[in-house]
Order: sequence, then C-alpha cells, then structure tokens
Amino acid sequence: MTAIAEDDRPSSLWRDAWKRLRRNRLAVIGLFIIAILVIVAAFGPWMSPYDFLSQNLDARNQPPSGLHWLGTDDLGRDVLSRLIYGARTAFLVAVGVTVAAVLIGVVLGAIAGFYGGAFDRFVMWFTDMTMSVPQLLLVVVINASLKQPISLWMEARYMETLNPIWRNSAIIDFVLVFGSMALITWPPYARLVRAQVLSVRGRPYVTAARALGLTNRIILMRYVLPNAMGPLIVAVSAGLGTAMVLESAFSFLGVGVTPPTPSWGNMISDGLRVWTNYPHLLLAPAAVLAVVTVAFNFLGDGLNDALNPKGQK
Amino acid sequence: MTALLDIRGLTIDIARDGGPARVVDGIDLAIQQGESVGIVGESGCGKSLTMLSLVGLLPNRIRATGGSAMFGGRDLLKLGPKELRKVRGSEIGFIFQDPMTSLNPVIRVGDQIAEALIWQKGLAKEAAQARAVELLELVGIPGPAERARAWPHELSGGMRQRVMIAMGLAGHPRLLIADEPTTALDVTIQAQIVDLVRELKDKMQMAVVWITHDLALIAGLADRIAVLYAGTVVEDAPVSAIFERPTHPYTRGLLASLPTLAGAAMERLPSIGGTPPEPGRRPPGCPFAPRCAHAVAACAEAVPRLAPVPGSDPRHRVACPVMTERAAA
Repeated sequence: MTAIAEDDRPSSLWRDAWKRLRRNRLAVIGLFIIAILVIVAAFGPWMSPYDFLSQNLDARNQPPSGLHWLGTDDLGRDVLSRLIYGARTAFLVAVGVTVAAVLIGVVLGAIAGFYGGAFDRFVMWFTDMTMSVPQLLLVVVINASLKQPISLWMEARYMETLNPIWRNSAIIDFVLVFGSMALITWPPYARLVRAQVLSVRGRPYVTAARALGLTNRIILMRYVLPNAMGPLIVAVSAGLGTAMVLESAFSFLGVGVTPPTPSWGNMISDGLRVWTNYPHLLLAPAAVLAVVTVAFNFLGDGLNDALNPKGQK
Repeated sequence: MTALLDIRGLTIDIARDGGPARVVDGIDLAIQQGESVGIVGESGCGKSLTMLSLVGLLPNRIRATGGSAMFGGRDLLKLGPKELRKVRGSEIGFIFQDPMTSLNPVIRVGDQIAEALIWQKGLAKEAAQARAVELLELVGIPGPAERARAWPHELSGGMRQRVMIAMGLAGHPRLLIADEPTTALDVTIQAQIVDLVRELKDKMQMAVVWITHDLALIAGLADRIAVLYAGTVVEDAPVSAIFERPTHPYTRGLLASLPTLAGAAMERLPSIGGTPPEPGRRPPGCPFAPRCAHAVAACAEAVPRLAPVPGSDPRHRVACPVMTERAAA
C-alpha cells in the first residue's frame, strides 16, 4: 500500500518528448548554447579576466590581443569581461520578463477561457488594446515618465538614510525596465493559454471530473491547465530569446538597464557609434546576442516537434 | 414506496438565435430504489440530456426549463450549483461513453480515483489511495496496487472503462447513470462490462440507469425499459413486456430492425422510414406521427399521454391512443 504513494517514475509523455528532443540536432545545439549561457551567467564573476567596470584610459579602443581577447572599449574596459557580465543581465532579463509575462498571461488567459462570460470579454478586450499600442512606444513612455522621478526619490531616500540599497540601480532595472517589458509581452501568452483552455475544457475527462463533483478550482488546476501547457512551453522558450532582443532594443534607445551595468544591448548601442573605426566593439556583442537568440529558437522548434509528435512526417 | 428519482414533465430547451428550440418535451420517468432501467432511443432523442440535466451538467445554452426531478426529498432542478456539486459523484454517479478520452492523461489512474475521494469525502491522501486500490480490485482489475500507478494511456479500453466505473462508484452513489458505457468497446469486452455493472449494482444496492441505443444489450440487463422518441417517453414497461408485447409503433420499428439469427442472410434489415423531427420543428400532436404507418387524423392534433396498455403487465404504459384502443379491442 505504501508503494503507491511514491512518485518515482517520470511521466511517459515527458520521457518520450525528451527522447524525441535528443534526436533533434538543432535543438541539442540550442540546449548546449543555453547551458553555456546559464553557466556563464551564474559563474561570470569568477570567469571574467577583468572587472567589468575597471577602466584603463591608457588602453582605450584596443583591437583584440593576447591581453584583451576581444579588445577594449572607449573607456578601456575589457570587452570580454563586459560580455560575460552582460550574459547575467541577458539571462535575468530573459527569465525575469518571461516569468512575469507568463504569470500574467496564464492567470488572465486561464480564468478567461475557463469561466468565460463578462470577465472573458474584458480580458480579451484588454489584451487587444495592449497589443494595439506600439511596444516600443509604451516602454519608452513608462520609462521616460517614471525613471527620472523614481531615481530622484531614491537618491533623496539615500541622502536621508545613507542606506546603500537606495543607490542600487538594479532595483530600477528590475521593477521598471523588466516590469514595463512584461507589461507589453504578456498578451500573446494570455491568448495562447485562453485558446488552449477553451479546447481542453470541452474534453470528456473534464466533464467526467465535473460529474465526480470536483470543484471548479480543482478542475482548472489539475485537469485543464496541465493539459493546456504544451504549446505554452514552446512559446516560452521562443519568448526567452525575444525578451533578450527586446532588452537590447530598449538599451539601444536608452531605456534599458541602467549603465554602467553591462548589457549586450547597450554594448551594441555604444559600438554602433564607432563601428567604422572599431568594428569589434559592435561585432562581439551582436554576434553573442544573435547566437543565443538563435539557440532559444532552435530549442523552441525542437520542443514544438517533441511535444507534438503528430505534427511530424 | 416513494421512488428514488421521480422526473415529472421535464422540458429542456436549446437557446438559439430566433428563440429556444425544445429538445426534451415533458419527460415523465420514475426510478425505484435498486432498480435497473434502460433508456433507449436514437441519437438526439434527449436521453443523455435528460440525465445530465439532473446534476447540472448540461452544456452551455441548453437549459432545463420546466418540470421537476425529486431525489431524496429535493427537487434537483431547483438546487444551486454548490448543492448540485455535492450531489454529483456522492449521490448520483456517472459513467461516460468514451473510456479513451474520459480519463485525465496527466494523472495516474489511482490518483484520479483518490482525488475524487479526497475532494468529495474529505479523506486523507493515504486513505484515499488505499480506497482507490480497493475500488480497482472491486471492478476486477488484476494487480490493482500496481495498476493504480499506471497512466491512463497504459491501459486498454476495457481496463479504462473499469477505471471509469471505479470512479463512478467512488462516492458510493445511490444512483449510477451509465451513458452508453460500452459503445466504444469490443463485443466481448462489452459483455464483461455489462456483467460487472450488474454485479456491482447488487453488491452496492444502487439503482442503475443505462442509456443506450442497443436494445439487444439492454434486454439482459434492465428490469425496465423506457423508450424515448424526440424528447418524450413513448413507451415504458418491464423488459419482458417490451419484447413480448411491444405496443408503440416506434418500439415495434426498433425491434423489427434488430438482426436475428433466423432471418434470411441476404435480406435487408427493415428500417423505419423518415427521420426524427429537428428540435424546434416538432409537429403538433404525436412527434412520431409523420413516420407512423398507423397514424390517424387525430394523431396530428393532441400530444398523446402515457396510458396503461390493456391486457399487458400493469406497469406497461404507452403514449399511443391508437394502439391502446387496438389492444383493448
């Protein structure tokens, strides 16, 4: 009798999907690159040859060399070290923004799809409205109108309390930059989840669960959502890459993470100004961003095939 | 003796653009304690909707609009969603048609049964899982402790239907509604499931309503048969009376279209000409009249009521004045 309580065997659905995923060469390459990104993001400070902030004004804009593998930027900072630190930013952006956007999307989409009615109409109306506003515009407006007052307010708090936490620009980055990005990226997740929930809630096992007298909450959490998640996983893996590109675009426009925190986006932005003279300052971050984004898309495609075996020839 | 379930004058409408369309039109049906009743009729005659309406499981846009359904001293049609939820599973159990899709693919079968017990009866997890294994054993699944840990897709159709039955019985209901539970199964498995339900009915002393379009199957299973046509009961009688003295022209048509071993091999099976009326386009009077060989002018005027058949079993009732008169003559 005790044996049945144990949960030692993985679901065959996931085991089969993993098997199919491993056979997909591009997906494995994508997974490999993402694994490297995660390791670099986690252990970057111990791996980078220089501090990402330390300037060496005697060695500005140096081309790649034995001392600086990827050269130095216009303040003499080591480009490789900044790329490695940028991986941490990129990873945090990708995960932070996607998790927040998916949470908003799943909660709104699932409740709208499952219960229908007025709430459903309101959510869909709100989703359409959000999607109809140009993404860049919305983020620029949020950041331009809020960043300055919040920074000033935090500086004032710092002067009052001398607590260094008020000078930590990471808070602004997380709340404001990531938050505003989440606010523009959730609608596709909400739509996807709603559509899935609509299709799953009509399946016979949901009716059977109702006939057993289970509550709506249990049916939604245990019967509907788990069976609606497949397409979301695919969307999330592609969304992680999109979020990194989006952050780069915002950094490029000056509304991304606050310098001097290195992000691939603001490195590209800096490099673009001088690329005719120092092409490596543009090439290095652009190449890394491109490779990682492509890796997420490879993984997303692979997951799509692995989780939908019927779609394969 | 008061009936376990007493449905009177039940009407069900589909909301449509251009007004509601009636699909169930005044069903009267009583189920006694521990009785086994077959509800027979072709697709779309309202047999499933009637049963689903009792526990508030009608699809969107379909509503029970009239009548009453007394069960345990309450009118089920007047209960709110919360009270109905408590009736489902613990007082009225369901078994559905398609065992292949009626189990949640991401929950082990044992946990699925246990889940019902946890939420219905407030059992602790271990107790519920132990009870789930007992239920699997009860429905004749070999190696129930191991099978409880299987995923639904690892079981055959017959096994899954047994799991569905175990789930339907988990709350120890007084009434089990089996909605064509064997339609998707092989004939040999069908027989096993039929035997199982019959055996469990006696063991657990519950009433069973068996919804089907298979008259031959129901013959060996039910005490009584109610024949539905276009949302009304046209004939309601003990099994023996239905087969020995089918009275309503529709019942006769159904029985005549059953294949027999004695019939000539190459002969076409007889069928009933025409099609049932569409919801919302019911003829006035008897809904079967347009297809009926015995129809007289009066049939198109008044909806016939169920009346006892003279000379047959006292419980034998039919909604056809023409045939009732002939039987009396």
